[in-house]
Amino acid sequence: MTTTLVTAPTTSPVGRHRSYGRYLAGKILGAVASLFFVLVVNFFLFRVLPGDPARTLGRGRFSSAAQLAEFRHTYGLDESLPRQFVTFLHNTFTGQLGISLRYRVPVGDLIWERLWPTVMLVGTSTILATLIGVYIGMLGAWNRGGPFDRVSTGVTLTLYSMPEWWLGLLLIAGLAVGIGPLPGLFPTGGLHSTDVDPSSLKGVLDTAWHLTLPVITLTLAYLADYSLVMRSSLLDELGEDYLLTARAKGLRDIAVRRHHAVRNALLPTTTITAINIGFVVSGAITIETVFSIPGLGLLSSEALSIPDYWVLQGAFLVASGAVIVANLGANLLYGLLDPRVRT
Amino acid sequence: MLGVLVGLLARLRRGRHSAHRTRSGPLVAVLAVLGLVAALLGLPASQQPAAAAKKVTFTVALTNDADSFNPFLGIEAESYEMWALTYDYMIHYSMKDMSPRPGLATSWDTSSDGRTWTFHIRSGVKWSDGKPFTAADIAYTYNRILDGGPEAATWASYLTSVTKVTAPDARTVVLTLKKPNAVLPLLPIPIIPEHVWKNVSEKQVKSYSAEPKPGHPVVGEGPFRLVEGTAGGSTYRFEANKDYWGGAPHVDEVVFRVFKSNDPAVQALVKGEVDFVEDITPLQVKALQKHPGVTAINGDSPGFDEIAFNTGAVDTKTGKPLGDGNPALKDAKFRYALGFAIDRNLLIKKAYQGAGKPGTTIIPPAYSGYQWQPPADVAFRFDLKKAGELLDAAGYQKGSDGLRTMPDGSPMKPLRLYARSESKTSIDTLDFFKEWLGDIGVPAKVTAYEGNKLTNIILDGDFDAFQWGWYVEPDPDSMLSYMTCGQRGSWSDSWYCNPRYDALYRAQNAEMDQAKRTQDVKRMQEILYKDAPYLVTAYNTIGEAVRSDRFACLQPQPDPGGIWLEQYGAHNYLSVRPASQAGDCDGVATALKPVSSSTGAADGGSGTGLMVGGGVALVVVLAAGGWLALRRRATAADRA
Repeated sequence: MTTTLVTAPTTSPVGRHRSYGRYLAGKILGAVASLFFVLVVNFFLFRVLPGDPARTLGRGRFSSAAQLAEFRHTYGLDESLPRQFVTFLHNTFTGQLGISLRYRVPVGDLIWERLWPTVMLVGTSTILATLIGVYIGMLGAWNRGGPFDRVSTGVTLTLYSMPEWWLGLLLIAGLAVGIGPLPGLFPTGGLHSTDVDPSSLKGVLDTAWHLTLPVITLTLAYLADYSLVMRSSLLDELGEDYLLTARAKGLRDIAVRRHHAVRNALLPTTTITAINIGFVVSGAITIETVFSIPGLGLLSSEALSIPDYWVLQGAFLVASGAVIVANLGANLLYGLLDPRVRT
Repeated sequence: MLGVLVGLLARLRRGRHSAHRTRSGPLVAVLAVLGLVAALLGLPASQQPAAAAKKVTFTVALTNDADSFNPFLGIEAESYEMWALTYDYMIHYSMKDMSPRPGLATSWDTSSDGRTWTFHIRSGVKWSDGKPFTAADIAYTYNRILDGGPEAATWASYLTSVTKVTAPDARTVVLTLKKPNAVLPLLPIPIIPEHVWKNVSEKQVKSYSAEPKPGHPVVGEGPFRLVEGTAGGSTYRFEANKDYWGGAPHVDEVVFRVFKSNDPAVQALVKGEVDFVEDITPLQVKALQKHPGVTAINGDSPGFDEIAFNTGAVDTKTGKPLGDGNPALKDAKFRYALGFAIDRNLLIKKAYQGAGKPGTTIIPPAYSGYQWQPPADVAFRFDLKKAGELLDAAGYQKGSDGLRTMPDGSPMKPLRLYARSESKTSIDTLDFFKEWLGDIGVPAKVTAYEGNKLTNIILDGDFDAFQWGWYVEPDPDSMLSYMTCGQRGSWSDSWYCNPRYDALYRAQNAEMDQAKRTQDVKRMQEILYKDAPYLVTAYNTIGEAVRSDRFACLQPQPDPGGIWLEQYGAHNYLSVRPASQAGDCDGVATALKPVSSSTGAADGGSGTGLMVGGGVALVVVLAAGGWLALRRRATAADRA
């Protein structure tokens, strides 16, 4: 602390550099610590859940106590809690996440398989919602109180407050099944057709086709997130003197907006985007359910009812890891963008 | 100083922003191109099934996924269905009442002491990889289970008291038993190929997925072979085994698509994306019955729902009472009286939306051979007066406040009725029951718990009554066993224990004379009926619907009145055929006959679909192009 104070005035650029390094190290350390914290909490949190996986899964199937015991023994459920915790830590650090109690396959494989549908669905929707939402918010704020502003705010808020699954069902009824003269354009659910190889070009396009409706649903539901934030932060900028200056320079309205006002108003949007990117792998449980997309959200919500400890731990580790990394990224970015946060 | 720094960084920030912006141009362009390509090529891709119309594919919508294709590991009903297609069984089930029929075994005989079972195995059966199937494969499968380990978890109970399984020759399997086992010959164990599974050690088997790899379908001897699918995946594709010993299936492919909720599944049926949906609600069945080209039913399923009582929970190790169950419910007379305070017909109408049948005993009517019919003087009916009289006679008199007291005159604690929060039927049933109890002066209140939580409460003995149900297998043995003393703390959820019942349970389990065994089974049901640890409220139905304008010849099981798929055995996957080839369904009168199609709306619209799709693509491209053009112009203007 003292050294920084002493050196800072003499070698200003180096000092600044060092302080960023320090800031960086602090943030990374914090992230690692929170990840470890999550790891420990996850283990005990899920053990507190009511329910015994062997009984939930075995109801009506394992008729004798011996069969129940055999199942518990096979999947390590009969071990003491501390012992299970040690196994869990060992497994996590060696990169194995255990065997799913429901699917009886390695959790790592299961999560990996479920990861990409979720990332494609939620990731694409987040990107689209950001782009479109920011644009809507910008236009709305610029012509505040005008018809576009009123309509767009009303519509995005309505979509935002609608239950996502219901919006999804409406889209299925309208665009997948078809109403009246409108034919069914899109598949009603699933990730790809059964007769195409998903790794071929045709398979990729087929998957994109299947994801269209869910992505539209999520994008519509997310729009207000971005458009409202963008709208209000742009409104904050509108009264600033520098805009008057820009106009006084004789710049066209659109140039003032785009290259002066919007640029400054984008900062809060950057924050929510960065944070929301972390939530991409948490999935969208309701949309995955309605459109039958085998994603991570669905996997963890189904695991919860058993409870499938190893899948829950794995899925939450991935989800919280992503949020922590995204937050770390946002923090680091901010350290670069705005020195005031580096204290 | 600080001001300078802020200024520097502000510039830095601005720089970054403009860098970001110039990058976003190509990004939009890429997105637009992707959109265009997807729209133009994606559409023909979705038309693909129509183009390859020569292959007959029967597409089934499931509302739950198969948890494992490994027959030693899976537990969900959907997995059982997948094994039934992939593998075959020594014994099949009849369509009428699921009694044993020849399968891989053409006949069987028992020694007089019931300790040796000899099965004669069908010849000419081949594994799907061409290797011959022999009795040794059966012995191998059963011995893997007898050896214990993960394989024993699901299947050991079917081989109770079997000590040894041998295959003296390629066409004979011999089971040696410690003591007679009446459950035989029903052996619902899928037979796996030894030449494949011998490479899977006992250590590996607990996470062995038994799934196909591209070009390597799963090796089985069933009517179909799994060519594509993973546990928990969204589609499973099966190819017909044209050499199946029971005759080639009438369809080329069976595809299962997993829907995570049944509304979209019903929509897919209406649209024609799938041909069959299962596990739909009574309201959906009603709606689909009006739809041309669709036949929808609430099929009888061998299961029942009950209101169960805490008949006296005990710690099984110490024998001491456990939990805080209401003392009145320890009295069989009290429980029996409550049986007259349930309007089962009303429950079916209101809580089950008309889908279901009033229940009597724990053996459902599907197994008509084993089901006991209560005589008129014993049978429950909705009669609150009779219930009151029985309670009076048992000493539970009404006090001055209209509420009944315990025989010793102390006030009766209200009965805590626990519903399962995930089931509306469960909550409704108990809400009605509470009202009826109130009418006869028995105080009660309803609380809903999540199923797992309720299981814990039941095991702790901290309850008075709850609503739940069971699915009953073709042999009554396991269902009967759940009510024995030995199952307390394990599967018994009413904590019921009656030595007379247990003695009968052991007797029927070893009784080789079918008539005598049936008599024992019926006497056990009579004991349970009068002791009333369970008040059976309803027999379940399952909602199913099929595109009967496209496919026909599904036969119900139990026949008549039963369900079409998720039966015991793969019968209907062999029997289902395109509506145009239905004929008289090989003379099966109860099989589903084709119905005339709607106006063809299901297959129409593909041409218009292409046109509208093209239109949408065009709009996307125009919009993206406009966006790009505007951006470029704006940038140019600002620079100038």
